[in-house]
Amino acid sequence: MIISVVSGKGGAGKTTIATSLAHIFQADYYDLDVDAPNGEYFLQPEKWTTREVSQQQPDIDESRCRACGACTKECRFNALYKIANHIYLTEALCHSCNLCCEVCSEGAISYKPVVIGKVRTGHSNKTWSRAIIGDLNIGSTRGTALIQDIVQQIDSSGTVIIDGPPGNSCAAVAAIKPADLVVLVVEPTPFGIHDMLQTLDILKNLHKTMVIIANKSQGDDPLMSLLAEHGLKLSASIPLQTEYHKALLNGEIISQCDQQIYQLLLQAVAAELLKQ
Amino acid sequence: MIRQIAVMSGKGGAGKTSVTAALLKLLPEVVAVDGDVNASNLPILLSTQKLSENDFYGMDVAQIAIENCTLCGRCTEICAFNAIALDEQGNYSVNDECEGCAACAWVCPSKCIGMVPHCSGTNYLSQLENGFLLHADLVPGEDNSGKLIASIRAQAKQVATEKGLDIILIDGPPGTSCQAISSITGVDMVLVVLEESLSGLSDYQRLAKLIERFRIPHLVLLNKTGIDPDLGKRIEGVVGENGGEIIGRMPFDMEIPRSLSRRETLLDMSDYRPVMEQLCEKLLSC
Repeated sequence: MIISVVSGKGGAGKTTIATSLAHIFQADYYDLDVDAPNGEYFLQPEKWTTREVSQQQPDIDESRCRACGACTKECRFNALYKIANHIYLTEALCHSCNLCCEVCSEGAISYKPVVIGKVRTGHSNKTWSRAIIGDLNIGSTRGTALIQDIVQQIDSSGTVIIDGPPGNSCAAVAAIKPADLVVLVVEPTPFGIHDMLQTLDILKNLHKTMVIIANKSQGDDPLMSLLAEHGLKLSASIPLQTEYHKALLNGEIISQCDQQIYQLLLQAVAAELLKQ
Repeated sequence: MIRQIAVMSGKGGAGKTSVTAALLKLLPEVVAVDGDVNASNLPILLSTQKLSENDFYGMDVAQIAIENCTLCGRCTEICAFNAIALDEQGNYSVNDECEGCAACAWVCPSKCIGMVPHCSGTNYLSQLENGFLLHADLVPGEDNSGKLIASIRAQAKQVATEKGLDIILIDGPPGTSCQAISSITGVDMVLVVLEESLSGLSDYQRLAKLIERFRIPHLVLLNKTGIDPDLGKRIEGVVGENGGEIIGRMPFDMEIPRSLSRRETLLDMSDYRPVMEQLCEKLLSC
């Protein structure tokens, strides 16, 4: 059972809810916000192991290359360019698509693995489970590829919590696709609601079952009526409170320090799990 | 000379849009860019009037003319994105994983695969009281967000040149990957809004390394401060180590999210208007 926690808006409370769910269900936690992962500050995993993730990128054999430039003309990502009699690669633009290898009439292009990031796995004494952190190399643009690599290797024999990236682009989709259940965290402000509506589009297209949780709530009336228009309901609401912010800023898991929130989240998600 | 300043944070919800909206209102003339193209919130806080909108075409995508397809399967073999598969009718078809590389079109022996334009979003030019705003909505779930940001930034530069405006202020996306890179490439200065929390600090460290790579100077506004003085001190130390200069502080105050929810900016709060005015002055003098 894979549960993905997503939001659209950044700072809505994905990590707050995802770490709490990992705590409540003693589940493996996957941090797929690979270019700003923060879950480890809450779960404080130990005994790390690390695996590097690579993507195949072109390697040009200078002895064979005639610098005809065919590869640079065909590459649609402008990742290859020619200066004087040399072909150069901009790694950040390469999508590892295989086209340049096919195009080269001299067989001068092969592929070599290039590290785009790493996956760090540790054991958390707060969840009694694993915390798996996606960690994109700084400067790399291949976040979605790293997410997809981690997703492919998820062990979903038990319960798994995915902490997704913010936004509504391909990276969010990659973190949503494997989910059996999506927990949509909404900050019920004009901003949070605007971004949530875009996430809802993605979730509907992918036919995902979802549980909707309001966080930092100052009153949910507009959100509830909006959800009703979409045939959806709010399953839980966590109020905006200084105490919660205080707990979170130092990495406390909110379900661990507040029994009420533990119950609220447990009931909201367990009700849906039972249905499934 | 046009000066470009990007407001960034690493962590989401740190306060980028709140700060950018206040700065935008204080500048006498400005071209603004909302670089968060798939969670675009700046227009919600500003009074804008749409002047024009245009479809945004990212990468072309593959399309198979099945009448000429011999079902040889070369296209699915070469595709690195699992974007081509047999559909229910037994024809090869392209799904939304297609990244537009055209490898399939290249290898297809019967040349029945073409690359066709694909709309991935809409971009807008809007009027502000004191300038213009370029913003966009990526179609939810689409690729090409970095490209869309680059495209509205190019338009912003064009508008600034045409209208003789010399400041472009970019409200950046969260994170440190493609969208962030697309937002800071070629800017003269980055203003980091750093939330006082372990998460905010961690994401700042990643962002600072990225900014350093681009050799862009950065200034820091500390936000939601005053709850944990020890953490605050630690953060100040880390900012110093990373070559950042702290030019302002905003306390943690529950009135701020309440006020933002009413679509007010920080300038509408008498306690914080002076902070924003000072910030704006310092930003312009750096």
